[in-house]
Amino acid sequence: MADSETLHSDSNSRGIAADLARAADALETMQASGELAPVVTVAPASPNVPPALFGAGGPMLKRFDESTVASRKGSTAPSPPPSVKGIGKKVAKPDYSEQKIVVAMVGLPARGKSYLSNKLMIYLRWLEYDVKVFNVGQLRRTKARQKAQKLGVKENHNAEFFSHSNAQATQSRDSLAEESLEMLIKWLKEGGNVGIHDATNSTKSRRAKIEARLAKEKGMILIFLESLCDDPAVIAANVELKVSQGDPDYKDMSPDEARKDFLRRINEYEKVYETITEPHLSYLRIKNVGEEVTMSRINGYLSSRIAFYLMNLHIRPRNIFFSRHGESQYNVEGKIGGDSLLSLRGMQYAKALPALITDNIGEKPLTVWTSTLKRTIQTAQYLPYTKLTWKSLDELDAGVCDGMTYEEIEQAYPDDYANRDEDKFNYRYRGGESYRDVVVRLEPVIMELERQENILIIGHQAILRCLYAYFHHLPQADLPYIKIPLHTVIKLTPKAYGCDEERYTLPINAVDTHRPKPKAAKQPNVHPTTQRIYYVEEEVKTSA
Amino acid sequence: MVAPLYTTDSGLLFHAGKILVVTIGLPARGKTHISRSLERYLRWMGVKTQVVSLGDYRRKTLGGAQKLPADYFHLGEKSPETIALRKKVSDGCEQQIWDFFKTGQVVIYDANNGTREARQKLAERFHKKGIHVIMLESVCDNKEIIEANIRSVKISSPDYRGWDSDKAVQDYYTRIRDHEEYYDPVEEKDWPYIRIFNVGERIMVNNIKGYLQSRIVFFLMNIHNTPRTIYFARSGQSLIEHSYKADSDLSPPGWEYAERLKDFVLERRAKNLAGRGVEMGGKGDSGLMIWTSTRRRAHHTAWPFLQAAAASTSSMVTPAGSHLPTPGNATPINLNPSSIPTLTSLTINTAVPHLTEAPMLPSKPRIKVIEKPQMSEINPGIWDGLTPDQARKYYPQDWERFVRDPYAFRAPRAESYHDLSVRLEPTLIELEREKQDLLIIGHASVIRCLLAYLIGLPASEIPAIEVARGDLLEVTPASYGVHCRAYHFWDGPGRVRDEGDFGKNKHEGVGGEGIGSGEGKGDGEKAQAVVESMGGIVSEERIKGEGLMGLGGMMGGISLSTLPVEQQDSDSSSAGISRLGVDMGVGGIGEQKDANNFYENYAEDTKGKRKVDSFFVGNNLGRMEVPGSGVMRTREPEAGLSELLS
Repeated sequence: MADSETLHSDSNSRGIAADLARAADALETMQASGELAPVVTVAPASPNVPPALFGAGGPMLKRFDESTVASRKGSTAPSPPPSVKGIGKKVAKPDYSEQKIVVAMVGLPARGKSYLSNKLMIYLRWLEYDVKVFNVGQLRRTKARQKAQKLGVKENHNAEFFSHSNAQATQSRDSLAEESLEMLIKWLKEGGNVGIHDATNSTKSRRAKIEARLAKEKGMILIFLESLCDDPAVIAANVELKVSQGDPDYKDMSPDEARKDFLRRINEYEKVYETITEPHLSYLRIKNVGEEVTMSRINGYLSSRIAFYLMNLHIRPRNIFFSRHGESQYNVEGKIGGDSLLSLRGMQYAKALPALITDNIGEKPLTVWTSTLKRTIQTAQYLPYTKLTWKSLDELDAGVCDGMTYEEIEQAYPDDYANRDEDKFNYRYRGGESYRDVVVRLEPVIMELERQENILIIGHQAILRCLYAYFHHLPQADLPYIKIPLHTVIKLTPKAYGCDEERYTLPINAVDTHRPKPKAAKQPNVHPTTQRIYYVEEEVKTSA
Repeated sequence: MVAPLYTTDSGLLFHAGKILVVTIGLPARGKTHISRSLERYLRWMGVKTQVVSLGDYRRKTLGGAQKLPADYFHLGEKSPETIALRKKVSDGCEQQIWDFFKTGQVVIYDANNGTREARQKLAERFHKKGIHVIMLESVCDNKEIIEANIRSVKISSPDYRGWDSDKAVQDYYTRIRDHEEYYDPVEEKDWPYIRIFNVGERIMVNNIKGYLQSRIVFFLMNIHNTPRTIYFARSGQSLIEHSYKADSDLSPPGWEYAERLKDFVLERRAKNLAGRGVEMGGKGDSGLMIWTSTRRRAHHTAWPFLQAAAASTSSMVTPAGSHLPTPGNATPINLNPSSIPTLTSLTINTAVPHLTEAPMLPSKPRIKVIEKPQMSEINPGIWDGLTPDQARKYYPQDWERFVRDPYAFRAPRAESYHDLSVRLEPTLIELEREKQDLLIIGHASVIRCLLAYLIGLPASEIPAIEVARGDLLEVTPASYGVHCRAYHFWDGPGRVRDEGDFGKNKHEGVGGEGIGSGEGKGDGEKAQAVVESMGGIVSEERIKGEGLMGLGGMMGGISLSTLPVEQQDSDSSSAGISRLGVDMGVGGIGEQKDANNFYENYAEDTKGKRKVDSFFVGNNLGRMEVPGSGVMRTREPEAGLSELLS
């Protein structure tokens, strides 16, 4: 890194060309010293690069669209699929309709059941499965609130209520759990894929009831997911979270009382708790969030994916930093895609980045991930950390539109352009990718991120939007409109029910590459939260 | 080494240290199958892995069972000589493990390891040296699996050479019984363990920590030994073979190819199922799954399969046709495409058109097509659409590196074969997982990577694997490896390239010459040739015979063969095309064959093909070491072609 420091000190006196030449040199040096992945290449400057033959806007593509129509006449297929033309099309969501899985949680209170169900939901939703958590606690609180509002009857949900010697309360809790399960089954039948039954399900008889109920449904797979935790620190932290984060069950109590009451509640459950030993059940047992995993009778691809994902989770404190590359020459020119070098301002950002990161992370270890494109490698070049390049982090491939400005695309293909604005997530550029394709290719990156500790990703707009949407659990339709400005570092701190976020914008000007959704009355709402949800979203019928 | 995300100085990946996987299980419980599969997968990930098999070692050092003392496999009282002999074998084996750990990361010790005491001692010895030990028990209580395993694998081993098969089976059962008496299932919790029941039916994992370890578990959860066949075929010829970005549709011969592929696959599959004693569409036929990429040429090649499915649901039957359907003899079916719910996924019970020449062709195959974005062909980056000569001219340094190492080299903004392998990794697990027969309609590069994984070829050989359009590759997982056969079913246009032609073409033809190239005959003359052919020399027959060779010829071919003459504005269109051809330096004009996607196929075209058909890859039967790959394989008679011809 000594070389790059000298670079840093005297580069102000040089022009852009010198900067770029140095950047290229630095890249070569990095490559030679093995700091880059084994198969990185840097294109030599080519004086006369041949024209893109099949790019959008050129004469070739349109000609071929015409010839395509003709080519079909030779087909013996009685009705060939619709003709291909233009610069892309919308693609349909993958069909997961055959997947029907019930994940029933098992575990004492404060053992991270809701954490696991929440993580699992986010992961699977990101992969476009239709997932929903049916939390019995939420249902109970919602019903109690409705009762209180409508009938003026106030139920006391203190530890007494959770005692198994309290017959009436036990019955009431049982029927709540059953009702929640019924809601889940109904939802699966209406098209859901994975329903997560978030309850304690702590006894064999309760699990047997769930099993018996689901045996009546065709094609539904039942998996129990037991969360065990014997780390006192983790339990204590969970208890603290419970009493300090505004759980409505404890809103009339002092934190001290709440803590005591909650511990009593745990105690009531412990009295009757039976860990899963039933040999015929499909189950996953997770100890101390990923420390140890037991699996039994886990079949099916999705189930094994779930198991693999859960095995890679950890709850050690860490930070994930996202930054786009510095402003690139293409950014300045308003072009999309490409593999251009940084602009002068982009280089300034690259130089300012190490101080910002080091101030934040201190002595802690950090790994930097970049894509294989020059602008991210250049941006990372002064960072004194281990760097890895990922092909999977390359920017969304705009196919035939690569290297064009939005205006050019709009002019050449007005219909297609409007089409993309209408459903950006599903729009696949001809010869390129859709946001959905990017989500699919990023899945291994997500898995790797889950198991890593401090990571800084120097990425691209579309890529970071996808990753950001995963960590903040933002809906698909809004994903392509998430604001990830240039010259800004986003710091995420994973918490139990989401991620805390801080943004650091460096005072180096850059162009704005964000395109808001045109003609939308309401811009997509992308506000992340770390707040736990205590009530079910929709209206619940009150049973008197 | 195929797809590690990164390399390290120590050669160890994933911060996992060194791992010894000790297999445990009675004989014929599928230990070797599991060990070999795991070895193949870990090697694919770039982890240096080796199976050390006690049985193989014994056979190598002592010879077959007939040369052993009678009490060798009987665990009761043994003579001192036998005890010494057994110790010699196990010590020798252990030494092999130690030797491999000098440079390797994972050893899978394939032996019975049935007694608790013995495996504890073994584990402690390695644990003391900082090696992580995992117990991997294969439990099997399904008598059918055991019997099938004995019959298909064990009695054909050198131990039973020359035996009567029933006697051999009986002898083997005796061997198992003796082991059973002393067998301790893994119940001790002192070591991390994985217990697999009936080859993947159920799995129990205890105290498994670490990423590589979790990958191992994930993999083991997805393997099975249900009989099935995996078919590979390339997509049909497309209009613009050599461009990635154009994502062009099938050419007329491409559509024909698709029809032919459907007929041929259904026919082959019916035969294969019959071989398993299953009637296609009958009980025991779980249907055919088709995976394609999201590229148009690939999923449109699957269209006839869906069409057949859809046609039958509307109870329409195509009349018997020849094996090479042509526009003339296929009866159109009036089917509204909108009646087909979705292109990407469709499961329909169908009666396939009855073909006179294929009486086996059955009633109701179920077919489902899934498009997978990970299965797109290798991305040529900025070399897209170029000819090799253009690439060499404009990117001389890159070109040199590309030619030197077509596997690891990544052209600017392109993918290397290595990148492609990484991208395909999730698909591999799904491939392992799939229990139905599977047809992969893909691109040469993708098929190469998947085949290399299934066969266990080293990375450097991947780019040169021959995947000819018009061949159906049939891969059947067997107990210890895979059978691989190629059936040639199509000779039409788009099969491309005569034998070893690429280098030849480069010098002969116009295809090789780039923009402004001063060599050869010059672009002007070539353009002239196109104009002439457009002017009416190109007949429909010629097009059929040679296909759409190259861009110029293709454009001419389309307009002439498919449009009524009076609709052609031959003057202006030919002039336009020739101008394009010259100005933009498009390769393969006129007589020339389309250069294809050279970035994808360069190694196969120039460096000598690697044929993967017609051999069985395994480890247990008459072996043949393949240099550098560590894979054993035996050649089988050329069953594929001869069977087809008969």
